[in-house]
Amino acid sequence: MKFFKKVTFTALAAVFAVTASLTGAASAADSLSGKITINGSTALLPLTLQAAKEFQKLHPKVKIAASGKGSVTGPQAVKKGIADIGACDWDASIDVPGFKAFDGQVANKVAVIPFATIVNKNVGVDNLTTDQLKGIYSGKITNWKQVGGADADIVVITRAFGSGTRVNYQSKALAGGDIVKKDKNYKEVGSSGDMKTAVGSTPNSIGYIDLVYVTGGDIKAVKFNGVAATSDNVINGSYKIWAYGYYMTKGQPTGATKAFIDYVQSKKFQQGSLKKLKFIPISAMK
Amino acid sequence: MVQQTIDPNIEPKPAAGGPRPVNISARRHLRHRLSDYAARYYFLLSILALCFVLVLVTVFIGKTALLLFGHISPAQFFFSFDWTPEDEKFGAASFIINTLSLTVLTMLISVPISVGMAVLTAEIAPLWLKRFIRPVLDLLVGIPSIVYGYLGLTVLLPFLRNLSGEGLGDGLLAAALVLALMVLPTISRISDDAITVVPAKYRDAAYALGSTRFQVIMRVVLPAAGRGILSAVILGMTRAIGETMAVVMVIGNTPQLAKTLFTPSSVLTSNIVMQISNVEFDSTWNYALHMMAFLLLLISFVLILVIRFLGRKRRES
Repeated sequence: MKFFKKVTFTALAAVFAVTASLTGAASAADSLSGKITINGSTALLPLTLQAAKEFQKLHPKVKIAASGKGSVTGPQAVKKGIADIGACDWDASIDVPGFKAFDGQVANKVAVIPFATIVNKNVGVDNLTTDQLKGIYSGKITNWKQVGGADADIVVITRAFGSGTRVNYQSKALAGGDIVKKDKNYKEVGSSGDMKTAVGSTPNSIGYIDLVYVTGGDIKAVKFNGVAATSDNVINGSYKIWAYGYYMTKGQPTGATKAFIDYVQSKKFQQGSLKKLKFIPISAMK
Repeated sequence: MVQQTIDPNIEPKPAAGGPRPVNISARRHLRHRLSDYAARYYFLLSILALCFVLVLVTVFIGKTALLLFGHISPAQFFFSFDWTPEDEKFGAASFIINTLSLTVLTMLISVPISVGMAVLTAEIAPLWLKRFIRPVLDLLVGIPSIVYGYLGLTVLLPFLRNLSGEGLGDGLLAAALVLALMVLPTISRISDDAITVVPAKYRDAAYALGSTRFQVIMRVVLPAAGRGILSAVILGMTRAIGETMAVVMVIGNTPQLAKTLFTPSSVLTSNIVMQISNVEFDSTWNYALHMMAFLLLLISFVLILVIRFLGRKRRES
């Protein structure tokens, strides 16, 4: 029921957004009304939904429709004119490995997303260096013995190519190194939830995930170059595997869209709800 | 309503001495004919609308799929084993072979079991057992496939891991076991029906000739129900080939040829669902995924044609 409501609402909102932009009534900033359609990253979706709820309380005339899929669908939807805001786990206005820049789009930073290397609870290792991770993901290191663990094959679990988490993990944790392991101990999963289940239920496995997902007893986050994966270490600059989450817009945002992005970037939201959702405020990184 | 007008005997006789009986009957007749027409055109329209949507889907997928061959050669798509989209290499041969071997393996596991179950429910089991088994099988069809996948991931994989000593346990065997469980009710219920409709006189004649029960089932009932069982198997195959959510959780999703039962690999469906949300709309990659979907559509289409063909032959014989 809730799902259908959401679908109908999104569809209606898209129709309204099109008609509104045709009649040129969308960008009336003074009284602040209009429709905002947001598409893209599922990692940022909880944040977007929370912000939308609060923003609509302040500006009842603004209707916001948000939905989530893969990161890359965000800037794509903006490019096609389906969405006003495309949520993306990387800066889609510049080239990243595998994805060309989306021309004419502006990246608005809205949050800091930390990522963590996780292993199954039976793995004795609790620290891995960049070189060790590179070795594991490129297939040069295949046994936990080689990185100080027990004598057991390493089972590598990774996200499918094109996942925002994978893009960021590759560039930060593997220093741009490739994930090129294709043999019997290599597996790809489709989402953060699958990653958590797979690593939790597979002995000797290693994977990576948003830090907010690291809960429960079956998985544990390992230190990266001797630094523990915590929000504090991200903020003080010692833990390096994190990325900004972006709201992509076609050109500089205007009207209700601008007001919404401003609200998400505001101190009140960043220090309040955003922190509660375990994201890190962007101001903390300056 | 419809039956009333078709069968004139049901038309009530006008009451004796009533005013203008003939006129009332004619009006009734006209009304029934009109509602008949309305119903007929309503159903016709519904079917045409469905056909229209089906044609649209086929045309859309086909059109997008065929764009692929403007970018790469069909030979690369069908015969290359190298699927590295980030380097513009789109060889789908390993997916096609894996899909076929997964289907064959699934059928090898599920057909003997489900036909056996069909024989049990149709021929051997006492009434109370039949009344228990049939609804249970019907219920199994209704369980969403992702539930089967999740059970496979959390229950079957650790079991296979212990059994084989492999690190992961993902691969063709895990996927085939999950799929076999999923298609089992489909095959066994339809085979059950096919066996039930075999005329009793065949069995009586066989018994009269001195056959044992086993001989009756193996030599008379099963051959007589053969075509029905075959179409049940084909229906099960279409379900197995098109199944995505359960397979994607236990097959490992690695684009490589499955050389052993425990090699993490990928089939057409699982590769589409893993990648479709992460590709750009107007890219060779997207067209390649559409071509894989089109291929699946063609396979199901051919299988359904085979069922129709078998069905017609059965009626003729």
